[in-house]
Amino acid sequence: MGFLLWLEEGPMGIFIRESLWGYPIVLSSHAVGMATVMGVVVALNFRVLGYAKDISILAFDKLFVIGWVGFIINLLSGLILFCGSASVYLFQGSFQLKIGFIVVGGILMKVIMNKVRSENGAADGMTKLISAACIACWFGGVITGRLMAYL
Amino acid sequence: MDYDTYAPLASWFESTWVGEQMRNIFWLFPAMETVHFIGLTIMFGSLLVIDVRVLGFGRFINMGSALKFIPIAIGAFSINLLSGIAFLCADPFRYFPNIAFQWKMGLIVIAGINALWFWFGEHDELKQLADGEDADFRAKVIAALSLAIWVAVIIFGRMIPYVEY
Repeated sequence: MGFLLWLEEGPMGIFIRESLWGYPIVLSSHAVGMATVMGVVVALNFRVLGYAKDISILAFDKLFVIGWVGFIINLLSGLILFCGSASVYLFQGSFQLKIGFIVVGGILMKVIMNKVRSENGAADGMTKLISAACIACWFGGVITGRLMAYL
Repeated sequence: MDYDTYAPLASWFESTWVGEQMRNIFWLFPAMETVHFIGLTIMFGSLLVIDVRVLGFGRFINMGSALKFIPIAIGAFSINLLSGIAFLCADPFRYFPNIAFQWKMGLIVIAGINALWFWFGEHDELKQLADGEDADFRAKVIAALSLAIWVAVIIFGRMIPYVEY
């Protein structure tokens, strides 16, 4: 708790609460980063689930660079936003779920790519099932993130 | 925008059945917001595949397959058009005079024109592109514009609650 209050009272916490444009700008960056990460996640999982089969799944390895750029934008903007009300967010159910969804969703992305690699680029039924769970997790992250404003 | 110009239209939006539901059912507005966000990610993801292929960074993607994401982008856009209209009906007098909303709408129209230019000017030619082959410069300009405009649309959309006065 002491650490959370220290974050809130630190320069970053004060900046995001008190600067007129700080919050909207960081929040907008968070939305753009989200679109970028989710864009790659959605595209990969649609492909694994059977859409646009002429694209090689393993080719997505190169697109992940874009996904990581979005992820880093969101990690940074997310940390700044977190500093604003750390002691509220950490105990908020929607925030805890959001982070959980992102962690599990991220791990499943790796699991999917490893399975596809071991099957020489093909996606079997099990991989598709994991892919469905993966996209559900990431959508869950978006939904719970949006609902942090309400719950 | 002048109050008298948008007031009649805004009153009509406000009086619709959708507007009434959006105001009366407390969870409907947040639910629509999450739908709007999911639509956003699916649409941006589809555009990313297409635009990244055309720009050349995703040259390893088969062009014909990349273009298959066009219907998904249109579907996701329709979801967001509908959920967006629901927001508008909920509180039109808030949105019409909002500068971020006005810019967002203007940019969506420009993005639409850009998409038509892509469809009628480049689509058939791009479909013939061999694997790994570079798209022509004009197509790349359209793809870069598409990404830039939609990023701006997201930013202005996210700014709507913060530019009210």
